[in-house]
Amino acid sequence: MSDTQLADWRNHALTLELEVNKVVVGQENPVRLITTSIFARGHVLLEGDVGVGKTTLLRAFTRGIGGGYQRIEGTIDLMPNDLVYHTYLGEDGKPHVSAGPLLMSGENLSVFFFNEINRARPQVHSLLLRVMAERTLTAFNKEHYFPHMLVFADRNQVEKEETFDIPSAARDRFMMEIPIVVPTDAAIMESLVFDTRFHDMDALVASVPEDLLQFDQLNTFAARLQNSITASPTLRSYVLNLWRATKTPTDFGVKVSGVDMNRLVLSGASPRGMGMVLRAARVNAWLNNRAAVLPEDIHEVFHATIAHRLVFSPVYEMRRTEIAREMLSAIINAIATP
Amino acid sequence: MRTRFLLVICAIAFGIQPAIADVILPDVNAKYVSLTQENPTRDAGFVVGDVLNRTITLTIKKPYELVKESLPIKGYEHRYRGQISGIELVKISTEEAIHIDSVTHVLHLRYQIFTTGKLAKPAALRAEIIKLRHSGSKEVVQYRIPSYGFRISPLSVFGSVKLKEEMSPFIRPLRLDASQDRLHLEISIGLLSIALLGLLYIFGMHAWLPRMGAPFAKAYRDIRKMPNTDEGLQKAVARVHISLNKTAGSSLFNSNLADFLQKKPAFTPVKQEIEKFFTLSRQVFFEPNALANLDESHKVWLQRFCRHLRDCERGLNPDLKSKVSY
Repeated sequence: MSDTQLADWRNHALTLELEVNKVVVGQENPVRLITTSIFARGHVLLEGDVGVGKTTLLRAFTRGIGGGYQRIEGTIDLMPNDLVYHTYLGEDGKPHVSAGPLLMSGENLSVFFFNEINRARPQVHSLLLRVMAERTLTAFNKEHYFPHMLVFADRNQVEKEETFDIPSAARDRFMMEIPIVVPTDAAIMESLVFDTRFHDMDALVASVPEDLLQFDQLNTFAARLQNSITASPTLRSYVLNLWRATKTPTDFGVKVSGVDMNRLVLSGASPRGMGMVLRAARVNAWLNNRAAVLPEDIHEVFHATIAHRLVFSPVYEMRRTEIAREMLSAIINAIATP
Repeated sequence: MRTRFLLVICAIAFGIQPAIADVILPDVNAKYVSLTQENPTRDAGFVVGDVLNRTITLTIKKPYELVKESLPIKGYEHRYRGQISGIELVKISTEEAIHIDSVTHVLHLRYQIFTTGKLAKPAALRAEIIKLRHSGSKEVVQYRIPSYGFRISPLSVFGSVKLKEEMSPFIRPLRLDASQDRLHLEISIGLLSIALLGLLYIFGMHAWLPRMGAPFAKAYRDIRKMPNTDEGLQKAVARVHISLNKTAGSSLFNSNLADFLQKKPAFTPVKQEIEKFFTLSRQVFFEPNALANLDESHKVWLQRFCRHLRDCERGLNPDLKSKVSY
């Protein structure tokens, strides 16, 4: 791929970032991570408290990416078929079937937005697993393809009533799980409360220009981008050590306060997970106008791509967010490069 | 004859020494006698009971010969001005060697001290006077064996003694007060040592000085030995990385450099150099096409950079302007 193409796409990506950052203020890092996921062709799970802007953020990105956009709300009574079709009684008094959110946009579906995913039943998660992994669905005796689809999902980590924990297999399908926290900058906090611009979400999202990216070219470009950014032997060795450390942190002297490290990790990062780290790191290098991956690129995406893949002992599951963050930071501190 | 006999009787009766004993004979001509003597090896520190050996070797040329009866007698108590000196000859033995024109007599004399005093006092092994007879004319002459002077010391110090005048062997010689000079000398040596250590500290290459075993000091020594090749450069950069990580207590990257400098402000002066180093590391390990923007040999720059880090490590201000390669 020519340098010009890389530069053009980078400009588009940075423009998208810029526009989204105007809509969702104080979230530069999550915005960068979501941009990275889009170009690494990975699904994104946002996690955060109620009302911190998760949905707004995803909607803003969706508008900028272009293509078909579908959305569904996770509820306890949501069934898998609700994603595929609707049945209703028509004006003629006869039952009718129409395409559900997954099928409605056909192959042009670029963003499937699953709001409050943890309120959906495991059956729904199960369907989503296949769609996310294979980007296909069998319905009405036909195979449907969604080659450009990205799943954006969010979940409320505070509320536990009428929710279902997302199994590790489903979590592993997401390239990144990105925590969204309220900005601590006083000026931003003030503007979020007093600036009326932030009170009308629809108008706010509508301020993002549509179709900043050509969604149907993203797959091709992403593949070329991955081939354009190199990873040196030293970096490969570094990444392998990081991987090993997620499996056996004690071998690398990694410690987390108040945690028995010998009992903590049941399963470290998966090969798919580490592959996604590299994909995301390559995109990050490209966004920073580099032709090779640096350890800093890995660090930028490491927490978001690995934390949700770790499987801890049940006794530590309640504190997984805090422990995973501390453990991954300790791993980065412990592993040297070269 | 009768008168003479009466005189002798009177002399005995009144305790008068016979006149013949006081007869002073003429001295022998020195060319007929030669003398060597072996005296005690020291001339002081003798106390009561000590024994002094003296060996006299006399060579008497013909026509004179020794009158053996004139040799000193064992047990004879020497007197000086009528007082017993307290030094007694306790043994005498002789050897004789006859030559063509002379006879050699070796006299082994052993004296013992039977006197002492409150202070050290001078004493002498007396000068023995022996007689020589002319074999042809019966002429008798005398020869005086020189005395040997020494000091007798008391067994202990009695009463109040002026130490400066005391010559007892049990008292150490008095010394001049050199404490002030000694203090000056010690201070000077101390200052000189500190100055030398300072110089070694700054310019030295050895690990035994304080902080010489610190990470960058070691790295500096290691890098100097590495070859100026691509492989050597990789090793050198990796070596600096190790020291940086060790100093930081965790892996140090460009992204957490600010935290490192906050924890270790001594390294703030070399912030830009550290950033350059990360660029160099990027070129060496991750992105060969990246430009390190160093206007000199990588090895030379790395060596100087490591020295600057070492200076920071020691709390010194690195000379960032100097382009001298060390």
